[in-house]
Amino acid sequence: MIISDRISGGGLAALGLVSFIYGSGLPPVPGQPVGPEVFPMVVGAGLMFCGSLVALGIGRTFEEETEIIVSEDGTTQGETNAAVEPGAVFKVALPPLLLVFYVLASESIGFIPTAFVMVAAMCLALGARVRSALLMAAVAPPLVHLIFSKLLRVPLPAGLLPMPW
Amino acid sequence: MFSTFLEGLQLVLQPDVLIAILAASIYGLIVGALPGLSATMATALLVPVTFYMSPIAAVAAIIAASAMAIFSGDIPGCLLRIPGTPASAAYTDEAFAMTKKGEAETALGICLWFSAIGGIIGTLSLIIMAPLLAEMAFKFSTFEYFWLAFLGLMCATLVARSSPPKAIAAMFLGLLVSAVGIENPAGTPRFTFGMTDLLGGIEPIPVLVGVFAVAEIMRGMALKDPPSIPHRRFGSILKGQWELTKTHKPQQIRGNIVGIIIGVLPGAGADMAAWVSYAMAKRFSKTPEKFGTGHPEGLIEAGASNNASLASGWVPALLFGIPGDTITAIAIGVLYMKGLNPGPTLFTEKASSMYALYIIFILSNIIMIPLGIAMIRLSSTVLRLPRYTVMSVIVLLCAVGSFATGNNLFLVLLVAIFGVVGYLMEKNGYPVAALVLGVVMGTMVEQSFVTSLIKSDGSILPFFSRPVSAVLAAMTFAALLWPAAVWALKKSRNRLQPASP
Repeated sequence: MIISDRISGGGLAALGLVSFIYGSGLPPVPGQPVGPEVFPMVVGAGLMFCGSLVALGIGRTFEEETEIIVSEDGTTQGETNAAVEPGAVFKVALPPLLLVFYVLASESIGFIPTAFVMVAAMCLALGARVRSALLMAAVAPPLVHLIFSKLLRVPLPAGLLPMPW
Repeated sequence: MFSTFLEGLQLVLQPDVLIAILAASIYGLIVGALPGLSATMATALLVPVTFYMSPIAAVAAIIAASAMAIFSGDIPGCLLRIPGTPASAAYTDEAFAMTKKGEAETALGICLWFSAIGGIIGTLSLIIMAPLLAEMAFKFSTFEYFWLAFLGLMCATLVARSSPPKAIAAMFLGLLVSAVGIENPAGTPRFTFGMTDLLGGIEPIPVLVGVFAVAEIMRGMALKDPPSIPHRRFGSILKGQWELTKTHKPQQIRGNIVGIIIGVLPGAGADMAAWVSYAMAKRFSKTPEKFGTGHPEGLIEAGASNNASLASGWVPALLFGIPGDTITAIAIGVLYMKGLNPGPTLFTEKASSMYALYIIFILSNIIMIPLGIAMIRLSSTVLRLPRYTVMSVIVLLCAVGSFATGNNLFLVLLVAIFGVVGYLMEKNGYPVAALVLGVVMGTMVEQSFVTSLIKSDGSILPFFSRPVSAVLAAMTFAALLWPAAVWALKKSRNRLQPASP
């Protein structure tokens, strides 16, 4: 998911402008030279400046110089070049989507069913066989529930499937 | 002093602390060994659990897990040529070349033995440096703190392996995130847009879990499964290490010193230390041509360096609340949570806790040797684990863990958002470490800046006229202008180059 520097830099500069304008509208503290408005304005101005530099392509020479190092980094090792395929994009977006699913679903259907869906979806996306995925999804959530709700006393929603502990 | 030491020892010898060290060590060894899961991520996921521990146990868990993960990242690097953590990437080829020559035991032994020694030397530097600097820090006022924080932020952008404008932009983005909420000098709600969830501000922990754990999992989704590892029986791991220790003294000294220095610099951590040390080992070697063919010199120097940087990264963290690397950025959050607020007073009022911390560091590096040997022997089993088993549970832990830090579903949403932000930043050359530093230090920067201005009645003169302030200011401006100078130098050299044959 490569965004051109023009767009990312321009976006950051715009964000900086918003922050600057928003900051300038904050009420000052009477009798004091500086108040809550200064910091957003300074940060906004900085973002505008750096964002514009990025959009103009200044400083790119530094990236080229270190390219060899970055490509040897563990994070880029063995990466498929097919990241443009819609399936691959969905796979990459799956973890945050599952977190959003947790936010939406855990209160109503409870922790165990939500976690079941999350683990099963992750396993299947990573190429597990259906049987192993279902096994993982059946075993892992109760264990996590046991640790967090029993040992750490986190109030996890019981929902449709309360645990015996 | 001796009585404080004994008090510190007593704090460590509690059953809950010892259990925390052991459990966190095993956890760190396993997560570190799995390719694509970094030491920082291991630490970030540990934070929600530390909520429920005693202060010393919480800090112990973080120290033990991070030290083990940095070592165990060497294992898949050595056996599969896939670094387990970015900190091992610098010498993965070298270690794998040794394995191909049939010297896997020696290579792994070097990684383990010199990691432990590096960790202990790094700890000694922490023990010596921190109280000396604390002495100095007592004289600091908000003006000096402002420059220190600013200098810390600049360092992070300098050492990032990316374009300076992008690194600084990432840092500003972090500062902007820290500005959300009512925790500012005037208590005015900022950037809350009427949402009550945003009133309290965006805490560093969901940001950290998002950009380090979720973003890493997202990157991992696009990776192919690593090749399965052949079953092998290892000979003696530590055989011959003592001889290497005796014959490679300069490499160790250099590696440890470089590691310590890079650790202290804000934002630069173990991976940077390993890269620099490996390059230095090659430059100063009498036999640079042997590098890359399975030569122990670089392995010794870089392996010692990355573990040494781990302990010295705690120096600025404990003294000023400025993270020395991404792991201490997480640790600072835990320190605040546990009432061990960073600052020079830690070394006077909570001296026994500091001794406890030193002891935990030394202890972790000692038990690293037996646990590390066990991990190496079990590595073929652990590395055979299908990736989906671990990755799916981690996504679940991200959700439950972030929820647990505030019993609020909004935090889970924040984690998801910052996961996407972190992923996009990494893919487009914006260093996430700079963002994290901005988030962690934003409040400190603003508070020291605004309080200073209120004290001086709006005049900026005291920022430059106080002696220590002036020095720190000069250093900050040097750091700011450095990329521009390098750029100009490169440009003039490029212009000269076509003229020379």
